[in-house]
This record gives sequence, structure tokens and C-alpha cells, in this order.
Amino acid sequence: MGFSWDYLFQGFVTALSFQNLFWALVGCFIGTLVGVLPGIGPASGIAILLPMTTVLPPTSAIIMMAAIYYGAMYGGSTTAIVVNIPGEASSVPTAIDGYEMAKQGRAGPALAISAISSFFAGTLSLVGLTFFAPFLAEFAVVFGPPEYFALMFMGLSLIISLSGRALLKGIASMAIGLMASLIGQDPLTGAARLTFGTATLTAGVDFISVIVGLFAISEVMINVEQRISTISRMEIGSWMCSWADIKQCMWTMVRCTGVGFFLGLLPGCAPSVTTFVAYDLEKRLSKHPERFGKGAIEGVAAPEGANNATSTAGFIPLFSFGLPTAPSMAVLLGGLMMYGLQPGPMLFATNPDFVWAVIASMYIGNVMLLVLNLPLVGMWAKIVVVPFYILGPLIVFCSVVGTYSIRFQAFDVWMMLLFGVIGYFMRKFGWPVAPMVLATVLAQMLETSLGQSLLMSQGSPLIFFTKPIAAVFMLLGLLSIGRGFWLQMRSQAPEVAMDEPD
Amino acid sequence: MISSLFLSVTLLTLSHSEVVVKTLRSADIATGLLLTILGLLTLWASSTITTTMEHRLSPRALPYAVGLLVLFCGLGIAIKAWRFRGPDPEIKWPDRVGIRTIIVSLVSVGFYNALMNLLGLPLATFLYITFSIWYLNRAKWLTALLTGLICGIGSYYLFIRLLGLSFPEGFFFKG
Repeated sequence: MGFSWDYLFQGFVTALSFQNLFWALVGCFIGTLVGVLPGIGPASGIAILLPMTTVLPPTSAIIMMAAIYYGAMYGGSTTAIVVNIPGEASSVPTAIDGYEMAKQGRAGPALAISAISSFFAGTLSLVGLTFFAPFLAEFAVVFGPPEYFALMFMGLSLIISLSGRALLKGIASMAIGLMASLIGQDPLTGAARLTFGTATLTAGVDFISVIVGLFAISEVMINVEQRISTISRMEIGSWMCSWADIKQCMWTMVRCTGVGFFLGLLPGCAPSVTTFVAYDLEKRLSKHPERFGKGAIEGVAAPEGANNATSTAGFIPLFSFGLPTAPSMAVLLGGLMMYGLQPGPMLFATNPDFVWAVIASMYIGNVMLLVLNLPLVGMWAKIVVVPFYILGPLIVFCSVVGTYSIRFQAFDVWMMLLFGVIGYFMRKFGWPVAPMVLATVLAQMLETSLGQSLLMSQGSPLIFFTKPIAAVFMLLGLLSIGRGFWLQMRSQAPEVAMDEPD
Repeated sequence: MISSLFLSVTLLTLSHSEVVVKTLRSADIATGLLLTILGLLTLWASSTITTTMEHRLSPRALPYAVGLLVLFCGLGIAIKAWRFRGPDPEIKWPDRVGIRTIIVSLVSVGFYNALMNLLGLPLATFLYITFSIWYLNRAKWLTALLTGLICGIGSYYLFIRLLGLSFPEGFFFKG
């Protein structure tokens, strides 16, 4: 069940089938587009397309969605460099030196080094994912319901890190997510709960409606309110960087891969955090730190590499433990569950063909992205001029069609709208959205494993502390919660959310 | 019934939020109190869940727990904001035109959803896209019309004919 060259080879065979190659290419294309367009993050992009992939086989669908995620990491730098508007929060450090380079007529080399660094870090991290994820999954194969519950409990405690300083708001956001998941019928007894006597609510609230509403609809509302029209253009210049540029950035790429990869394994360390860490590290290690902020090419290579290394590393806890470390990963987890795939220790044992095909497709996707991004930088840069009055209605159209197609019920679209409005107010009031998504996605697994565990222990909750692995997870979860509360009590500042859009 | 109620409440909230909630502190107090009420409602709704058999995990257990969590978080947020005496950042609300644009956009999505079963996906899509693009940029009525047409016809061929999804076709495309 652990790593085997056979599995990897089989994975490549599956990933190289015409159908999977096609969907990987579509995912890379859409991902780059999502990254290029400001206002649409990878989580929103995946959320919008998630319901529309139901017609695809699970492997092709997840290959495409994973490609959207890491594709967005490539594309996010384009607007940051060309027009000083980061497509994603993680591209903010890229804009510092990238835009300066663009102003000096070196937008092309900046975009090229960003693609090369992304490719280098992404591929190196994939090697880490290939060898590290099965090892972790092998350790976790002894998991039963109590261990799963403890793991889900620890997963929910990630809300502490996803909430930033707005801990109470984060917990409330999680509770609303859980509440939305509880509406409908009890999975064990079939009793109607929280339906307030209405038959419509008995069917329950689908988590896709929640995710699409929170991310896509609220984002459109924010953009409509700001009356965003078009973004100005700038000359790209020569599209390729020189060998000297690449040599200058070689060690930067190695270092940012290490930083991005290892920080990416930690829950809550989204690319938007690691890119800043990598940029800061490069500036400290540079012999000429004064060049940073004035168009240093290492200042572009570092955050872009870290960005991709982090997003790839995030697949390790997702595949091995079923733990999403960032909002986009939570949406991907939702996608896996939609296809009846249970991410976690057993994924490598029960669906090796699926998981290895996805990993192999990521190697191929990285090459595709390099090809898509290097010669086509000029084209991508022009896409930002698509006017919002066309883009906005098209996003809503995709969201409505996608949400409706889950159960073919207008009710799901109403729920999407409701959560869109909730998401809009959450953004306005500084509430973190990620905990609600995480809770909505984890709720079902949490409830099932809790019920099974209590059945095993004849109702005693001590089972979560008498089994060693479960006890460790419970303890880590409790420590995480305790630490969050301690920091919250010490903080005198008003609650401000550190919500990571990616 | 629920849909129209939801839409009315949403629009009322949107149009009055600027007046009621001006700063982050007042927003926290308002949402805290709202959550407290939601928590109480959840606790009441949990008490009405029927439990016919003995279960290790009662169907009421999790709803009760979530209700309590919402209640305490709501109270906590409201009290913390009430006691806060530091710099209070203002919330950037849109101007009147912005609010109107959001409301019209939401209502049009509502109509899109409501009309989908009646008119079918292609026609409802055509109407929604054409209206929305025209509303966001009045000068571009031809772009609106063309994009609407492409999306309407495209949605029929892609989702209904090619992918075979069970979207309502509407009288134009039926038969």
C-alpha cells in the first residue's frame, strides 16, 4: 500500500490517457484564467466548477480540479506583475518586485522567471508528495471510527488558525456551517431536524450551495458594488528571461521550495503566508537587500516558487489524513466526497489507481502549465481586460447552473443565494469564511464517526482518550483550541479576520 | 413561499444595513445579538426533534450542541464588542447606486431561478444574461443581446443535449 514504482507507473498510464490529459489541460487553462482574473480565487474557481464536473469520471474530475488549484498559483502572478493587481492574496509579494520590473520594461522576464520558478518548486514538491504521502497513509491505516472522529475534531480545531485573530467569529462561523449541515434528516434515525416544520428543508442543505454562495456569489456582489470595469494594459517586452537571470535565481528557487513545502504541510499555512516568508528570507539572505522592492528578479522567483511548493505540499495532509490545510483544499475535499471518495488513510489502499493517477497528472500538469505560461504570457496579460459587466453575469450563470445540477432543485439555488448574501456580510464585517466551509465539509464524517464510536464504546466518550492515536489527535486538537483561546484572551485588539482567499 | 420570504428579508437587510451598522463594533453587536436569537431558535427546534428509540447518539445531541455553541458565540461577540473601547474602524458600505446595483443583481438571479422551471434553462439564461449585462452597462445592449443568445443556445446544446442533464427545456426547445 505504500510507495511503489508500479503504482506510480500505473498512475502515469491512467493520467496519460487521452481523456485525463484533456481534462488536465482544461484544468490548467481554467486555473491559469482563475489566477489571472482578480477577484476570483482558486477556491471560488473550484467551487463554481465542482458541481459541473458530475458528468465526468471521478479521476478526471479531481485531476481537473487539482489542475485548477495549482494552475491558479501559476496565473496569479500575471496581473501582479503586469498591472500591480495580485490575482490572489499569495501573489502580493510578487507584485512588489514584479511590477517594478514591468515598469523597467522587463515584464516578460518577470513573468518567465515566475513560471520557471513555479515549475521548479512545483515539480520538486511533487517528488516530496510522491514519497511522503503514502508513508503517512501507511501509518494511518489502523484508523477506526474513534481515530477518525479525533482526526475530524483536530481538523475542526484548524479553525483556530484559519480564523486569525477573529477566534470567536471563526467558531461562530464553524457553528453556522455545522448547523447548515444538520438541517434535514438524521442519518441514523431519519428524524427531521432543524426543519422548523417545513417540508422543503427536509432534503437538507447541500454543501455545494454553501461553498458556491460563500465564495462565488459574495465575490460577485463585492465586485458589483465597487463597479469594477477593466484593468489597464502595459507592454510585456521580451517574453523570456536570460540564462543569467535563471542562474541568479537558482538557489532562490531551491530555498523557496523548502520553505513552501515544509510550511505547506502545516495546517493554516496558506500560500499567502508562505510567499511572504520566502520573500522575507530571500531579502535577508541576499548580498544586496537594497535591490528588493526595486525590481529584484529573486523577489519574483521566491514567492512564486513558495506558492507552488505550498499548494503541492497541501495535498499530503489531504490525501493521507483527509485534512484540508487551506480553504481551497476544503473545497477539493468536498469534491472528493461528492464522488464518494473518502480522503484519508484508506484512500491509498482502496483507491490506489485514483490517487496515483492524480499525483502523476500533477507532474504532467506542471509541464503543461510551463508551456501554457511561457509563450502565452502576452495573451494571459490581455485577459484581464475582460469587462466585469460580462464576467460577473457569466460567473453567476455558471454558479446557478452548477448548483442546480446537483439535485435539480431550485431550492439549492435559493440556498446558494442565501449563503452568498451571508458571505457578503461576513466579508464586510471581517468574519472568516473558511471555518464555515471546513465545518460544512467535515460535518457528515464527524457525525458518522461519532455515532459509530459511541456504539463501539456503549456510549462512553472515554474511547477517544483510551485509544492512543485518537488520544494524541484529541490532545492536539484541545491544545490548539486552548492556545487559540489563550491568545484571544491576551489580545486587546478588536476582532479582525485573517481570511485567506486561497 | 420560503423563497419570496427569503428574498424580501435579504433585500430589506441589504437596503438598511448601511443605516444601522456603521462601524465594526456596531456590526459585531448586531451580529452577536442575531446569533444569540439564532442559537435560542436552534435550541427550541432541537427540543422538538422526535426520538422514538434509544440511541447512543441521540438525534437531539448535535443540534443541541450546535445551538449552544451559536448562542454562546453570539453572546461572546456582542459582549466583547460592547465592552471594546479602542479605535473602531468604519465599514465601507457601497453608495446608493452600489446598493441598488447589488439589489437589482440579486433580484435578477432570483427571477432567473424562479423562471428556470417555467421557461426552461435556455430562455431563462438568455433573459438573465441579456438583462444583467445591459443593466451593468447600458451602452452595450448589442453585446448583452449577443452574449445572452450565445449562453442561452450554448446552455441548451452543452448541458441538455450533449451532457444529458435534466434541466428544464422550456416550451421553445421541447419536442
